[in-house]
Amino acid sequence: MEPILSEQQSLMRETAVRLCKDHGGPKRARALRDSGTEMDIPAWMEIVRSGWLLAAVSEESGGLGMGMFDVCLALEEAGKQLLMVPFAEVASVAHVLGKIGKRAEIQLRAIQDGLQILVPALPQEGWGNVGSAIPAARFEGGAWYLDGTIRHVPFAKTAQAYFVAATVGDELMLCVVLKHLVTLNTVHNVDGSTSSELVMNGALVEESQVMARGEMAQTLTDCLYDLLAITSGAALVGVSAMALDMTLEYIKFRQQFGKALGSFQALQHRAADCFVDIELNRSLVYRVSATYDAGEAHRAMAAAVKSRTSRVALAVTRNALQLHGAIGYTDEHDIGLYYKRAITLASLYGNDINQAARFSALTL
Amino acid sequence: MTWDNTTLFSDDNPSDAAFRKEVRDWVGENCPENLRDRPSRVTPPEMKPWHRKLYERGWIAPHWPKEAGGMGATLEQQLILFEEISRIGAPTPFPHGLNFFGPILIHAGTPEQKAKHCNGILSGEVTWCQGYSETGAGSDLASLKTRAVLDGDHFIVNGHKLWTTNGHYADWMFALVRTDAEAKPRHAGISLLLIDLKSPGVTVKPIKTIRGDAEFAEEFFDNVRVPKENLIGPINGGWKLATMLLGGERFATGHPRNAAILLNRARQLARVTGADTDPVFRQQLASLEIDLLAFTAYYRHGAALHGLGRVPDSMTPVMKLAAGPLAQLASEFLVQVAGPSGASLADIDVNGEAVNPSEDMFEMRRVTVGGGANEIQRNILAKRALDLPS
Repeated sequence: MEPILSEQQSLMRETAVRLCKDHGGPKRARALRDSGTEMDIPAWMEIVRSGWLLAAVSEESGGLGMGMFDVCLALEEAGKQLLMVPFAEVASVAHVLGKIGKRAEIQLRAIQDGLQILVPALPQEGWGNVGSAIPAARFEGGAWYLDGTIRHVPFAKTAQAYFVAATVGDELMLCVVLKHLVTLNTVHNVDGSTSSELVMNGALVEESQVMARGEMAQTLTDCLYDLLAITSGAALVGVSAMALDMTLEYIKFRQQFGKALGSFQALQHRAADCFVDIELNRSLVYRVSATYDAGEAHRAMAAAVKSRTSRVALAVTRNALQLHGAIGYTDEHDIGLYYKRAITLASLYGNDINQAARFSALTL
Repeated sequence: MTWDNTTLFSDDNPSDAAFRKEVRDWVGENCPENLRDRPSRVTPPEMKPWHRKLYERGWIAPHWPKEAGGMGATLEQQLILFEEISRIGAPTPFPHGLNFFGPILIHAGTPEQKAKHCNGILSGEVTWCQGYSETGAGSDLASLKTRAVLDGDHFIVNGHKLWTTNGHYADWMFALVRTDAEAKPRHAGISLLLIDLKSPGVTVKPIKTIRGDAEFAEEFFDNVRVPKENLIGPINGGWKLATMLLGGERFATGHPRNAAILLNRARQLARVTGADTDPVFRQQLASLEIDLLAFTAYYRHGAALHGLGRVPDSMTPVMKLAAGPLAQLASEFLVQVAGPSGASLADIDVNGEAVNPSEDMFEMRRVTVGGGANEIQRNILAKRALDLPS
């Protein structure tokens, strides 16, 4: 179902639809994958120019004063067009920085002006991410030094800095770590995106790069995890929706037994079930992001979003492949790109099972 | 923050919140104890005193306009009433008169018909049943054969109706009957007729359900004389009336509360049996709760769109396809949690509350069949929402 939007939101959405179509699409995603490019710089420049990276930052902190709901609207479009950009990541970081105030001002402005791509590097520990942990920070001679390994950080090669949570004894500290101070070991994912291991051996963090400490750092880190779950969920809804649309087009056109495939009830029912699941997830993302913006979200809601959007995106893209028949098994056909993007996004920031377990822990 | 799956995403404004509290307090004081959290089915005679109380309080028909004797409530208020009544385990009054027939009567009835029937529905004195299905007309409802032939001032009705909930308790039936045997398409020859079930020639037989009680019935019509003025709407215009969605009806029939209640029951039972520490139980419960959250989001989103007059056609089938299987899975989950008691006919005592998992599970079997089986809903979606060829 259509979201309920203000005039400003409708305009933003229309712009997002156009921007993502013009600068994304399967052809573009394929070209990036084939050339081993982890991030689409021209598309990124358009997103920087749109101002949406700070959509969920208050106006007094220099943002658009909208919310995560609006970010999710745009992300659904980005998902539909397979955009290879850290939009969900940077918009989430920007929102968190916006809560910090003066201390984060320079970082926020650098994001806004496109001078710095600051991506979150969270350990995602306990989710099968073996060898990944929160790094430890030590204070020496007026500066901080970080030691540790964080695994499976997306867009780490192109980013200039990482938003890192580190431990100081029992406490948490949120800080910005510059790229040239860490060692990267990067692997490619099935969809052409990358996952990097960040190895920090005494990575220097100046006092001015420390964004928050103690309880506030903990709250903001929790918040960042939740936002990454919600925003990647929004992109997964877009991936699912487009995969279904492409499949519907295909089965209306493809003839067998003298009839369009789409006239067969067995196929119609599969498509209808996919439609129902996507419709529910779209509403779920709208409602959870709006509830978050209203300050009333329960943390379990974010877990629910990531769990269900991951599960459904995988199911829908699998069905899409099946309904395409043999052509769906080729590398040449674009439907496979959607399947692979679904696999990547579903695996990131807690998959279906991880997030369902988290939901359970938060609600029982 | 504690997790309350009964009021997720509610859009209460301050006056709604005050109304919710008023309803909650009143229901708590007024719903008869013997009707709360009943594992077994509440029959129409048992329902009557509770129906009457809601009627006297002015809350029996929130969705009816004021001039027809209803509350003229906003959809939000309607949902609040619905939610608060089910929150304490009180039964919802039967929908056949209030929700199914009432809106049709208000929409298409003559002033005389409204004067005659509205009050009985509101007060609960008259029990109504819906006469749609027949032996040969289930999913393919338009093939129904019960004939009504005009003879002077009366229709002469001959035929057979089936699967009529509360048929053996009902005073009146609103029935789809064939008034033109030659009509093409077939649904163009169907009319909506009100039949007094005390009329000569009517035979009603209860049918025992899989649950073991007689929830529905079948009716035989043998030359039953029905006054001409009992026709609702135009002759051969019954199909449109029966299939049109009036107001917020769909929100009453597809509410997420079925699943919410069952999952809460499973949670309570798990604390007694110790299943709540079992990781497999917890994972399955989480998965169902997540589906419930998604469905609730969809439901609330739809309710908000309804307020703006922008509900898409796909909403009714989507709600049926989401709500039914979810409630069934929740009821099956409850049976699993009950272990060996899952097969028992006897109630289980859960902290003083009687729970009967198998009753719940049987009850939920109907929700994917009644009102158009889920397979039909998928056909509808494929044609209307997905634009797939036939």
